[in-house]
Amino acid sequence: MRISDIQNVSIEEIQAFQNPDGGWPYQQGSSWTEPTAYALLAQCAGEKAGWDTARAVDWLSGAQRADGGWPPRRSVEQSTWVTALVALLPPAVAGEERHARAVDWLVGQTAMDTTLLFRMRELLLRGKLPEDRACGWCWFPGTAAWVTPTCLATLALRKCYWQRPSAALRERIEGAREFLMARRCADGGWNHGSAISLGFNAGSYPETTGQALLALEGSDPAQLQDSFRLGQRMLGECQSAAGAAWLRLGLAAHEQLPADTPPPARVCRTVADAALIYLARVAEQGYNVFLE
Amino acid sequence: MRNGITRREVLIGSAAALGLAACARQPQARRARPQVSVVRAPAYTQQVYDTVRRLVAEHRLEVRGRRVVLKPNLVEYEPGSSINTHPMVVHAGLEAFRALGAQVAIAEGPGHRRSTLDMAEAAGYFEVIPGFEDLFTDLNLDEVSRVRLRRPVSRLTSLYLPHTVLSADLLVSMPKMKTHHWAGATLAMKNLFGVVPGGVYGWPKNVLHWAGIHQSIADLHSLFPRQFAIVDGIVGMDGNGPIQGQPKPVGAIIAGSDPVAVDATCCRMMHIEPGRIEYLTLAGGLERIKAENTQQIGENPDDLSTPFALIKEWQGLRRNRV
Repeated sequence: MRISDIQNVSIEEIQAFQNPDGGWPYQQGSSWTEPTAYALLAQCAGEKAGWDTARAVDWLSGAQRADGGWPPRRSVEQSTWVTALVALLPPAVAGEERHARAVDWLVGQTAMDTTLLFRMRELLLRGKLPEDRACGWCWFPGTAAWVTPTCLATLALRKCYWQRPSAALRERIEGAREFLMARRCADGGWNHGSAISLGFNAGSYPETTGQALLALEGSDPAQLQDSFRLGQRMLGECQSAAGAAWLRLGLAAHEQLPADTPPPARVCRTVADAALIYLARVAEQGYNVFLE
Repeated sequence: MRNGITRREVLIGSAAALGLAACARQPQARRARPQVSVVRAPAYTQQVYDTVRRLVAEHRLEVRGRRVVLKPNLVEYEPGSSINTHPMVVHAGLEAFRALGAQVAIAEGPGHRRSTLDMAEAAGYFEVIPGFEDLFTDLNLDEVSRVRLRRPVSRLTSLYLPHTVLSADLLVSMPKMKTHHWAGATLAMKNLFGVVPGGVYGWPKNVLHWAGIHQSIADLHSLFPRQFAIVDGIVGMDGNGPIQGQPKPVGAIIAGSDPVAVDATCCRMMHIEPGRIEYLTLAGGLERIKAENTQQIGENPDDLSTPFALIKEWQGLRRNRV
């Protein structure tokens, strides 16, 4: 069975792609952290309480690095953005202590383009400080901040903040929301994180527009009207399953998903796509695992 | 990135390099002039298949029984635009290498958009290339191993790279002939950014930017000693490439075993001075990229050259400017 053969997107179909080591591949082959975390999130959002998650949790627990973060896959010796996905899981899944260390790793991450050193360098080279002071997250340490890792880290830290409020968490969450608003494209949506390049406006993507709307849940709707309209229009044009799922999650978080929106008709290309479609469907039924 | 590197990773990297080096005909003597073919191809018609087959054949590549990986340039969901390598050119490459007895696969790892197969479908690859899904590997999500850079010019010391390209006997870079707002021009060498796995480094592959774009291009080039390049210059892109520029008809396909020489030839055809493209000088040196140090086959490149519009930041690249 191929991922693209998935029809109903059920927990059982997602489970069918689980590797013997407990993790999930993107398509086939070795286990990666991202699809494994999404498969577990789908399990958390579903009602199949009897599903045995022990092997998946073992795989995930064994992949955590000494610094508290997670690598994209076990053979990669670097903690990266995927740590936010694991931190989105309920703390009980991988254990309170592991979860707390993941959150600490996230809070400790600083994108290179927001460091004092980088800002001083820009001042020296270009004669002015960068206007964008907001702080997001990078995909890979030692690089700049981008939309997807910032959205996922924001969502993870928000869930943590609701359980254990702290000034440090609040500061990072607010900084990330400023980052997202600063990186919004002229059309009202979001792309990978480069709204203007060498003076040219860049267009938005459905995936990142949905992610940003989700991460901005609770923001003033008046500031997001263009984004809602664009997201609703993108729903009908979107060419990827993940894009359709993220748009639905993002719009539903703001109660902006039109009631007559048909379910995504796109083919699932990865386990992550299937899990996201499942999560979007559950969110429309009232339980958004990214926000609760 | 960590400092150490495992024996397994060294072995995999060494095996890949040896495999690539052993492929195809006997390597040209180090100082021999690289051959670059320029052929007329006025439109995306059935004639492209014959053109590419003859072009590949004239380079006498010994790939029978070898594993050849075609690496097109897939960037955006815009069928009919000049952003992506045209699927007919890729299909023609597939058939040309199959005709030589090679086992041919297609692989790509786009830099910004995550759903590679959906993008390939939108770009017409499913329609034009029979069995595309079975031939294709998403390099962003492939198995990876870490490979050490022996003499890096960028800040990188090693890179995780996909097994599909590491295990290839011949890597065929199949870019679109385009201007690029960060690199000046994107051709066969810049196209190798797509072999760096997004699954490890993200979308975009920002480690390459922070390590120096030109330097990273040169380093990636050094990791694949056995390459072939087929540039889709039938319709290229000028202006604010590689996404927001304008279609630029050139009517040519350019190919050769030395990507530095192929890219330098393309630059001259685009009225760009190759000596001002930093990654070309880093990888090849000023002498190597001179026209007189390349053996041109087929059409005279000057006969098919046409000035590509350049954004103001890259006006200094213009060839023979006063």
